[in-house]
Amino acid sequence: MGDWCRVMPQDWNKYVNHEVRVSAQDKQQYEGWVFTVDPVSASVVLVAFQESGGASVRVVLGHAVREVQVLREADGDTEKKLRSLLTPAGCQVFSD
Amino acid sequence: TIPASSGNKAGSVTLEEEQRVRSELRERFLRTLLAMTSKPVHFSLYEKVQVQAKFGASDIDILNFQVSDLQTPLGVQKEALLRCQDMISFSFQL
Repeated sequence: MGDWCRVMPQDWNKYVNHEVRVSAQDKQQYEGWVFTVDPVSASVVLVAFQESGGASVRVVLGHAVREVQVLREADGDTEKKLRSLLTPAGCQVFSD
Repeated sequence: TIPASSGNKAGSVTLEEEQRVRSELRERFLRTLLAMTSKPVHFSLYEKVQVQAKFGASDIDILNFQVSDLQTPLGVQKEALLRCQDMISFSFQL
């Protein structure tokens, strides 16, 4: 998917909070929940929650992304967990 | 760098919506970089090269990362710039 860098932000947004498998240029595959896709570099931020309570974050650079496959749809709990993981406490949402 | 919207053929409502989504996605990405500051980060580069370093900062276009204590097969580099074009992915723990 050499076109990953050229899609509209709305298309990247469709992957946010979903569990995906990203195939990268080195034939590596990475799985995790999508926290975001950087609209400048098209890099995908994947989060994998660990049993210990921590999380491992992997960023696949946009230029190296070949394919993104959705494994599981977003759910409310994961969405909340993702948001609280990287958004500072006390951060207010002013618009939807 | 990926250019911003090429035009507003579909009207200003669509453009506004695009800008809103773009800013949300970008904010989340910047928060990721912020969370990575001063943490050990593992970089997967081309040709199966793996290096580890402490992340310092990035430029706005995500072209270069400033890192410290870069552990290379030839020794430890106190300060270094990594070109993002050379990376496939990078990871860190939260």
